Amino acid sequence: MTQDTTPQVLLNPEFHVGPDLAGWYAVGGGDGLRTAMADPKACLTTIEASGLRGMGGAGFPTSRKWGMLAERDAADKVIICNGNEDEPGTFKDRVLLETSPHQVIEGGLIAALATGANYLYYYINPHHMKGLAAMRRALEQWLVDDLFQDMQKALGKSMHIYVVESSGLYIGGEETAVISSIEGGFPFPRVKPPFPVESGLFGKPTIINNVETLSNVSHILRNGADWYQNLGIGKAAGTKLYSLSGDVLRPGLYELPMGTSLHDLVFIHGGGMLLGKEFKAVFTGGPSNTLLTKKDLDVAMDFDSVRERNSRLGTGAMIVISEGTSIVRKVTEYMDFFAKGSCGQCPPCKSGTFQIARILERFSTGDSTESDLAALENLCKILPGCGRCALIDGAVTVVESSLETFRDEYLAGIQRS
Amino acid sequence: MTTGISYTEALAAFNRTNDYPMRDDALPKDDLLRGFHPDQAGEAPIPLKIGVNSGMPCHPRLAAILQSNALIDDVNIVGAEIQNTDILVIGGGGAGAAAALTAADKGARVTLATKLLVGDSNTVMAEGGIQAAVGQDDSPQRHFNDTYKAGHRLADKELVKQMALDGPDVIRWLIQMGVAFDVLDDRSFGGRLKRKKPGGATAPRILSCKDYTGLELMRVLREAVNLHPNITIMNRCPTVELLSDDYGNCAGAVVYNLERRRFIQLRARRTIIATGGSGRLHLNDFPTSNHYGATADGLVLAYRIGARLREVDSFQYHPTGLAHPPHLRGGLVSEAARSLGAKLVNGLGERFTDELQPRDVVASAILREIAEGRGVERDGQLGIFLDVTGLIADNPNILKEALVSLAHLAGKCELDPSTTPLMITPTLHYQNGGVVIDRHGESTVPNLFCVGEVSGGIHGRNRMMGNALLEIISFGRRAGARAAEGMAEAFASRPGIHHVHDWQRQLSMAGLPLDIHGPTLFPDYGHFNLAADAKLASSFAAE
Repeated sequence: MTQDTTPQVLLNPEFHVGPDLAGWYAVGGGDGLRTAMADPKACLTTIEASGLRGMGGAGFPTSRKWGMLAERDAADKVIICNGNEDEPGTFKDRVLLETSPHQVIEGGLIAALATGANYLYYYINPHHMKGLAAMRRALEQWLVDDLFQDMQKALGKSMHIYVVESSGLYIGGEETAVISSIEGGFPFPRVKPPFPVESGLFGKPTIINNVETLSNVSHILRNGADWYQNLGIGKAAGTKLYSLSGDVLRPGLYELPMGTSLHDLVFIHGGGMLLGKEFKAVFTGGPSNTLLTKKDLDVAMDFDSVRERNSRLGTGAMIVISEGTSIVRKVTEYMDFFAKGSCGQCPPCKSGTFQIARILERFSTGDSTESDLAALENLCKILPGCGRCALIDGAVTVVESSLETFRDEYLAGIQRS
Repeated sequence: MTTGISYTEALAAFNRTNDYPMRDDALPKDDLLRGFHPDQAGEAPIPLKIGVNSGMPCHPRLAAILQSNALIDDVNIVGAEIQNTDILVIGGGGAGAAAALTAADKGARVTLATKLLVGDSNTVMAEGGIQAAVGQDDSPQRHFNDTYKAGHRLADKELVKQMALDGPDVIRWLIQMGVAFDVLDDRSFGGRLKRKKPGGATAPRILSCKDYTGLELMRVLREAVNLHPNITIMNRCPTVELLSDDYGNCAGAVVYNLERRRFIQLRARRTIIATGGSGRLHLNDFPTSNHYGATADGLVLAYRIGARLREVDSFQYHPTGLAHPPHLRGGLVSEAARSLGAKLVNGLGERFTDELQPRDVVASAILREIAEGRGVERDGQLGIFLDVTGLIADNPNILKEALVSLAHLAGKCELDPSTTPLMITPTLHYQNGGVVIDRHGESTVPNLFCVGEVSGGIHGRNRMMGNALLEIISFGRRAGARAAEGMAEAFASRPGIHHVHDWQRQLSMAGLPLDIHGPTLFPDYGHFNLAADAKLASSFAAE
């Protein structure tokens, strides 16, 4: 993996000290937290000015989420750091948890100061064994550290931090499923409203932040909002971790300025297409969004610019597809993933993902007919909005988009049979 | 250009006496091997550049195909039918058949896919016999010692031990299946097994069916495979790529049906590669005794998915391949002839080596005679004489009783073996190394087994006569039994050819050529181009 751009925050090897708190302090760790402790109220302003947004996929401004929690008048407030990461093609949070757990924890403590939260949960996918172990070791070190004692004084109440294992299921990453899971149940998504910030974990006001989001926080507090804002390209702020995979020469995790173009990611950082094959499309993470195609190579990969192309940046996963790889086979693979990942609460999602997967399987094995294509299109029309969470919507989006853009690949399947 | 003594002169020297004088200029064994064995005197090995064995020396021609690009891309398997099976056996020779039968007997559903036809393999070409320590004067320990020593003490002891211990039970199994081994007593039922002494052994240990033992073995195994209700046979379906899951484990294979010209995805819980060796790559430009299918396909596929290899710079050159007539060049004259007392005679009418030494030594001695101008030259072909005239004089029935294949071969050469010697030269015979396996035949890639000649470690750097037939049955049965244990496990999800993309990255980064595609499937002269045959839409695999 080559990194030829200088501004590295999260992937800066300097900060990859593992679960070693002294090592973390040695590279400037703790400074951000001290800044926050000096003036907790200023945190929100700093984060707002930095332009930090939710890196879990939605891109919701972090300061607004924190602000909503800060406004709640409650004795107990909860922040959950979501490290369930299980989408195909996304592999950033596991790296952060493993290589720099103190970065994640300090970010959470600053968030607690900014919002007045006194419960902090790290909800981690048990499949990321190394990350989970690193977080547990790191947390033990914080709990006996003086800075943590001082932080509680600044907060004005005692701070409870837990590392909990998620179910390891894809659906367990959905906001309300995270809450169900920590409460001890199966990770069933819940109907919104009430939103978690109104009534979340055990009925307490709760917000959920992604691992990558919280990892940025201590650096912002330490180096200032302007510094972070200026790391991005154009209006976009900061850096982004892009999980690059698929038919490129050098797949891997890249931290680049937010707003780097898709072309640069694939052809400069990723080393270009594998064996020089033609670029065909990108599934963005993940992968439940509209496909980006050749005409989108110039897109700046920040939340707003990608949305202008009717797609989403999502987790920053970019699964690159060349002319040597079949879109139908890929979509079939992802649909199979969604069908297996559906929690089964909402019948349209449970049966719908299953039916679409079956039909796609026929396309990818050459057994499809014209009526299969019609059925697929019909399902794409009637299913969206039928689930309490967005799983079915994302699944339909990717099928619908592939049908629209790569219809000839579907038709080729019919002609063959 | 080396020349030899003309055939007429050599024949005159040969006919001068029946008691050929032994030359007295024998070289020490190590010098002989170093100077004349093709592994050491042929094309120099080169280190592999990519894969798990990076840096390991490999024959350059094999290295080119081991480090080749894939034949197919992801888009090519769109529309491919999917079949699920518990166990996929690739290869229809003796090892594949033994593995399939054993797994099927344990209740597994087995699919046996083969490039040619079941039984169309090197197994049927094994003439001499099969080793097994069944004699009262013999023991598995002696068998182990002889094998380990013949392999220059470089074999995996655990594997040799398992094979030697399996020997007697393998023979019992084969007899139960219906293999008619030669017996001493002239009885239709029972009788004591007839044993012969292989080159390099301390006790008579070769059991045979005249000089077509492999053919007899395969006759029985093929019938059993054909009749087994749990085995589905897919003839003429070469494997073009293995399937892998998200974790890089083996999950089956993509085969190409030559008759329907379609790809089929065979998804399997366990995959057993039994594709044999690599003689048809004609290393060092040698003729080969191997059958048409021996193009190292399994070795190439296993290496690409990440299996560790060993001794891929070591090959066995059988001392006695036909040197004349040209259209039969490379065809094997069984070691059975030498083990019965046939003599090797050079163009001067002299013997030059003890015919019962290990194969690498005898082959090197023959190559030395040829290189030093004492070979026989006929129609531009060089060789030396293999003399069975004395054997026939002593026992006029020997051609019917023991050397049936030899008589058949002599007929094809249009000569009378009772008066005229056969002209022979060493022929590329066996791949000593191969895929690293454990005692159950499992490779270093989970769910992938390799048995028979494709595997390595049993023979070190030189194989004894009769151990190949034992190995294929011993390890075929071991792998079949082990593979059948995984039946309760779920099928891998999302199998594909992900490992191929990782492989292509390595190829690109190492600057290796991308336009050489493998596995070979058929030798050059077969003029088979998968991309053209399958009308592949992508330009990727087109030459």
